[in-house]
This record gives sequence, C-alpha cells and structure tokens, in this order.
Amino acid sequence: MQELALKGFGEVLKTVTFRVRRYDPEKRELSKYMEYKVPVQMGMTVLDGILYIKEHLDHSVSARYSCRMGICGSCGMIINGKEQLACQTQILELNKDLIKVDPMGNYPIVKDLVPDLSKLFRNHESVKPYIIREEEEPKSEFLQTPEQREEYAMFTDCILCGMCLSACPTNATDELYLGPQSLTQGYRYITDNRDMGFNERLNVLDSKHGVWRCHFSGACSEVCPKGVDPTLGVQLLRQLLASNSFVKYKQKEATKGPERKSVSGVS
Amino acid sequence: MMTIENKKGWISWFNPFKYGTDRWMYSLHRLTGIILGLYLIAHVWETSHILDGPITWNSLMVFLDYPFGPHFGPFILSGVLLVAVYHALNGIRLTIVENGLMLPKPYRPEFPYRPKSLKGLNNVLKILLGVLMIIISAIGIYFIFTGVIL
Repeated sequence: MQELALKGFGEVLKTVTFRVRRYDPEKRELSKYMEYKVPVQMGMTVLDGILYIKEHLDHSVSARYSCRMGICGSCGMIINGKEQLACQTQILELNKDLIKVDPMGNYPIVKDLVPDLSKLFRNHESVKPYIIREEEEPKSEFLQTPEQREEYAMFTDCILCGMCLSACPTNATDELYLGPQSLTQGYRYITDNRDMGFNERLNVLDSKHGVWRCHFSGACSEVCPKGVDPTLGVQLLRQLLASNSFVKYKQKEATKGPERKSVSGVS
Repeated sequence: MMTIENKKGWISWFNPFKYGTDRWMYSLHRLTGIILGLYLIAHVWETSHILDGPITWNSLMVFLDYPFGPHFGPFILSGVLLVAVYHALNGIRLTIVENGLMLPKPYRPEFPYRPKSLKGLNNVLKILLGVLMIIISAIGIYFIFTGVIL
C-alpha cells in the first residue's frame, strides 16, 4: 500500500518549459520573456519550479515568496493567463507543457515577478481597517453573538495577496480605484457590531473611485485564493450605501460585558 | 526604486479568457455598449438627412437597405437588435445584483473555494437572460425580415 502511494515520487515525470517574464531595473530595458526547461516531479508547484530555475539555471530570476503554503499571500502571479498563488498551483495539474509566468498586472514591477504592492496597502489603509470607538479606553469587553460574527467572518480571511486588484478590469484603467480588497475590508469593519466608524469611512467608500466603480465582473472572486468572495462584499457594501441615502444607516451597538478595572487581564 | 508600469489597460476589458461567465458577460456588456454608442451616433446622422428633403431621404433609405447587396440592411439591423437586447437585459440583471439583491448572505467558504455570489440566483438570472434574449430577438428578427409582429 505504501509503495503504491509513493509511486512516482522522486522521479522526473516530464519536462516543462517555463516562459518567465523578466525585467531588470538596472538595465532600463523593456521586459522580455525567457524560457527555461524544468524537470517536474510529483507534487512540484510553480513556485518550486521557479526556485529550481533560480538554483540551477539562472540565479538572477526574482520572485517574492515566504510561507510556501498559501497563507502569507506573497507569491501571487499570473500563471497561464490567470492570477494564482504560485505555491498552491501544481505543475502537473496545469497539464501543459508550456507554463507562462507573468508578474501580477496593474502594479508596477520592481524586478521580474516582484510587483510593487504599495498601492494595495495604501488603499487598504484608507478604509481604516480597524475597529473605531468613541471612548478612548474601554472599561469592559464588547460582546458579540456567533450570528453577529457570521455577518463579516468570511471577509476576515483576506491575506492581502493583491490578486483581486490584478484581475479587476476596472482597476486596469482607473488608477485611483479602491479595489475589491479595500472595499470588502471596509464592509467587514462597518458590519462589525463593535465598530462605530461608519461615518468616518463614508467619504472614502462613497466616492467617485469608491464602491460605485465596481461593474460586477466577478474576476476578483474567481482568483481569490481564500474564497473571500470580494464580489459579494462589494455588492453588499453598495446595498448598504444605497439604502443609507434613503434611511440613515444605524450602527449596531455592541452590548458590553461586566466592567473591569483593567481589560489587560489582571483585575 | 526603478519600477516599470504594468497596467493591463482597456484592452483587458475584452480579455475574459480563463475567467468565468460573469467576466465574459462583463466583456460583452462593454462591447455591446460601445457598439450601441456608435450605432446611436450613426442613427442620428442618418435621420438628420430628413432635413434635406424626400429625394435624399429615399435614396439614403434604399442605400441602407442594399449597402453590399440585396437585403443586407436587415442583417445589420438584426445585429443591432441582438446587441441592444443583450445590453438591456444584462443591464437589468446588473441592476439587480449590483444592489446586493439575489445574492447569498455571507457564508463560510470551504475548500475548494467556489464563490457563491457568481452562482445560485445569479445563475438563474443568467439563464433567464438567455431565454428572454432568444424569445425577444426571435420576434424582433422575424419582424425585421417580414414586417409582421408575431
């Protein structure tokens, strides 16, 4: 049984060609494609393939990665025309002899496959992705029922890989568009019953380059590696803002737990 | 830091390959919108000839009916009808889903992740769009070619 399960492991099953887009910032040339032949073993991901190239064929190939298991969201790139995490894409599952690897679109390229994600982080920051309260130091805990948590729980899974902004066709032409990631995070904090910052976020979300720019292409949800479904988040935010112009949105008040001398644990 | 711009640009509006139906419908919506815009400009130019008197108008009508051969005009008109019907019906669908209606409530994503907002009732709307489009364009094209309303 064990022999059967391990069958094919460690053997070179086939050789695929990696066509990697290269850009060298020092040479000031336009980016070009270079091809590398990579022997593929069972279980090899595209990231493993790129690391093989870096190790054996061309040391100057650059890619950003960290955890190698789809948690950090560093290695987003366009693999065969679709945004995917390189560490989660099996070469054998792609079932192609030619694998085209591009850096994520709509971001400036730093080098080869490394995009400059500062726009993503700037947009994320602009929607104030934290709980806003009026009082300075809370005296007690804010209580939340499981149902109240369920309203936003799925949007907390975002790992900021930035692939939704690369896939988004609106973002391809609108430089100032907030993007699915930021809008979804805005919705996530607005629907949190502990949060009181709806009016503070309103001018960013309800702007010309905010939530109304989404045209429902659904590409962000399709490429999301964590199933966050930003399309749903953006549409729900839009519903909330649209109804806000008729009936003012009232933030839910979190019930407070018993008062404590210190919330740091020692009471 | 020397970076290079990598904007996908407007050309990526028409690159729905590798993505799903919603992305395809987005591309078609853009394309049909542009075609309709150009058609409306041409239509206003065409009808403005009525100011030049009946002779010009009639000769233009004949030319538009037979631009490249007999009865080519109705084919163009049928194309415009298809484009308009798609754009209108998909516009109604987008109005519904973009206001958060007929979309699921927030749910727990489970691996392998399949976004529910692109499925469920949204899919029902897409099928309804297809059925309505077939019916409406069949009636319309029949009218264009025969002049009889079913």
